[in-house]
Amino acid sequence: MNTGLLSVRNVHVNFGGMKVLQGINLDVAQGEIRGLIGPNGAGKTTMLNVISGILRPQQGDIQLAGTSIVGLKPSQIAELGLGRTFQTSQLFKGMTVLENLMTGLHRRTRGGFLTAGFNLKLRQVEEEQMEEQAWRALEFVGMTQFAERTATELSFGQQRVLEIARTLIGEPKVVLLDEPAVGLSATRLIELDTLLRRIRDEKGVTLILIEHVIRLVMEVCDQVTVLSSGSCIADGAPQMVRNDPSVIEAYLGKELRARH
Amino acid sequence: MAPFRRRNVLLVLLAIAIIVPPFANYYYLFVANLVAIYVLLAIGLNILVGYTGQLAFANAAMFGIGAYATGLLQVRLGWSFWLAFPVGGVIAAAVGLAISLPALRLKGLYLALSTLAFAQATQWVFLHWDAVTFGAGGFKTPPLSFDPLPISKPLGLYYLSLLLAVVLFLFAQNLVASRVGRAFIALRDSDFAAESLGVDLLRYKALAFGVSGFYAGIAGGLNSALLNFVAPEGFDLFQMVLQKAMIVVGGLGSIVGSLLGAGIIVILLEVLREVKGLQEIVFGALLVIFVLFMRGGLVGLLKRKVRGWEEPLRLVSRRVRPKQSETSQTAARTEKADS
Amino acid sequence: MILFSYLLMSGVTTGALYALVALGLVVVNKATGVINFAQGEFFMFSGFVAWVLHVQLGLNYAVTFLFTIAIGFGLGALTDRIAFRPIAKADVVSLVLATVGIAFVLKGIARVLWGGKGDYLSFPSITSPDPITVFGLMVIPQQLAVLAGTIVILILFAAFFRLTRAGKMMQATADNAKAAVLVGIQTDKIYTLAFGTGAAIAAAAAVLTAPITLLYPDLGFPIFLKGFAAAVMGGLMSLPGAVLGGVILGVAESLAGGYIHSSVMELSPFIVIMIVLVFRPNGLFGFQTSRRV
Repeated sequence: MNTGLLSVRNVHVNFGGMKVLQGINLDVAQGEIRGLIGPNGAGKTTMLNVISGILRPQQGDIQLAGTSIVGLKPSQIAELGLGRTFQTSQLFKGMTVLENLMTGLHRRTRGGFLTAGFNLKLRQVEEEQMEEQAWRALEFVGMTQFAERTATELSFGQQRVLEIARTLIGEPKVVLLDEPAVGLSATRLIELDTLLRRIRDEKGVTLILIEHVIRLVMEVCDQVTVLSSGSCIADGAPQMVRNDPSVIEAYLGKELRARH
Repeated sequence: MAPFRRRNVLLVLLAIAIIVPPFANYYYLFVANLVAIYVLLAIGLNILVGYTGQLAFANAAMFGIGAYATGLLQVRLGWSFWLAFPVGGVIAAAVGLAISLPALRLKGLYLALSTLAFAQATQWVFLHWDAVTFGAGGFKTPPLSFDPLPISKPLGLYYLSLLLAVVLFLFAQNLVASRVGRAFIALRDSDFAAESLGVDLLRYKALAFGVSGFYAGIAGGLNSALLNFVAPEGFDLFQMVLQKAMIVVGGLGSIVGSLLGAGIIVILLEVLREVKGLQEIVFGALLVIFVLFMRGGLVGLLKRKVRGWEEPLRLVSRRVRPKQSETSQTAARTEKADS
Repeated sequence: MILFSYLLMSGVTTGALYALVALGLVVVNKATGVINFAQGEFFMFSGFVAWVLHVQLGLNYAVTFLFTIAIGFGLGALTDRIAFRPIAKADVVSLVLATVGIAFVLKGIARVLWGGKGDYLSFPSITSPDPITVFGLMVIPQQLAVLAGTIVILILFAAFFRLTRAGKMMQATADNAKAAVLVGIQTDKIYTLAFGTGAAIAAAAAVLTAPITLLYPDLGFPIFLKGFAAAVMGGLMSLPGAVLGGVILGVAESLAGGYIHSSVMELSPFIVIMIVLVFRPNGLFGFQTSRRV
């Protein structure tokens, strides 16, 4: 039974004989902020890659708002309302901030190459609309001054925020965030926390985030799923998961075992 | 005001290009016609290599396919130039699309080599499929006439080439400043992110290959009419290196750069016409020098030094936002400092 | 049967040549991650240099051999300094275009110095040109010389990589350049060594085959493509794979040329490259290749 906006059923992923994900089940409800944590190598990024279509599971099903997305191309899954960010900066370096954001609206516009080349009305109208929306997105994250800058001129923290803005501008239903807090200072972390909440509250977007900064996860997530060695070992409210003995063992147990 | 703004410079060049030729001798007319042809080649290649980041080496082959198609349709099937010519362009575009399919899985260096191998194979077909292509000796195309217009063939062909160059230049400029152009660049800069935003990789790669194929095919058709002759030599690796040199010298990722690069390379080509070895040395050296020291090409230099040469990737309209005020710009500068 | 044995022998000999060119490509690729588009021109240029030394200056074969290899090494090292080192961290487009530029510069110089298109220089035969019979096969002694020479080079090479410190350092740099720096390996020197060695191998191949091939400035690119096709069969990172690929390519081409039509021989690299890259990009033989991150 599929209960959530995004549901994952019995997904298995193998890489050359290694079982990277084994029988994962996940249900994320609309409007939730879900945290996905676990020690390194647990399969968290693989999970995101499978959901976004970069990898195909050997077994299992994934449904987004009731539609099965296994086997679809990443661009098709994006069309259905899934967005994601990546661990490393994937801003388009050859474009300005504004243009990066306008590219985020790709799936919402339809002008083709003939329309563009011959400068037909549709192109003009869509360009104007896209620019308007890009400015609004910049206002939402408070970065309008950087509109004409090349993406590479921004600081690291600003780039991360911009990527999130770029994913949001297409109004996806679900956004996957891969370690959004990596490398952020304490001040920036608080800003990220606020931003994530605003995204959920003002935009109604469902978020799934992989994070290692546990403090952020505890503060902002409604529910937390824990992966370890390809299996899901815990799933529940942040405080509950934090005190779950198997979770503690998964994180610490590896250290202890390594030391003997 | 900025008198050397790009728009003014280009308009002046266009005016010269329209007014002067009837008074020029045939040799200069020939070179000018060649420039128009190479502008088309350079723009098409830049869209594929500079904007979409596909390191393909098949453009010279497409150039040849356009020339051979236009020529053979006239010679073997008796078609008129005016029909064979656009069809030649379409055939080249179709071949471009066909190559894009295997190209989807190949990146960087592997793409370079497989397209090189494809180009080599195309040369082989031109050379050996005598029954169709007339083999190594090439073939003459029927003389072109512009009746009933009272214009000589060289002048008529020149104006046709100029017209096509201008139209396709504007088309390309519009194309890159649209969601299509941004999709191309997104594909180049981060195909993962592009896909996650809904950009269908296959579709846009195919489009880039198809468009560059079309431009090259049209250039090929014009070339066949200019020389009145089609033979395998004009479409070899040297030709490919010439085209690469054009876009590198002019500026990768710039339509105007393609224009500059084409002009300069054709002039150099004519100046060094006597000694082929010297041509090879000069163009090879140009490639190396520009790749090492001037990655943005001449246009990159112009963008830094002269106002009015920016090439935004969007349709800049006055209506959307007024100009930024000074204070918000200083705020931006200080903001970046803390992070 | 005679035709077959002749074709086979001829194929193995050209295969040896392709194997050497491919080897040079793989050496550079393993150490630097770059395919040197000028490899064919290194071969061609060295061939001309050998001609100058042996035919114009009258030096004997052995001396010519050594000098040509040294000059070849120098060419490679120079290419490294000019076209690779300054942009070693740049994107693929730049790296490829830089070596293509060098290739054309070399070709142009060769053309200016030693003749335009259509002029073929020939190198006199070192061994007797008359065929001899070996195990019932008719062979030209120079072919045996090529094979013997190739085998010697391969053995020296394998020894270099496995036994000498420089060779092991090259492997290490290829596997992980950053770690290599941390361990104290001077990667810059390794890059130069790699380029130089790759070019030297091409030079050796040129001198070996000069007596049985004709020299002309445009022969570089087709040789490069064939070398690449051979290297790709081995997955671009495997030295034995490149050699095996070269021999297979040479023999297949020779047989196709003999039994189908001689013009088909020029098409072979295209067919091989397209098939391998599209269907089995890691090479035909499944040799373990180190991953390029």
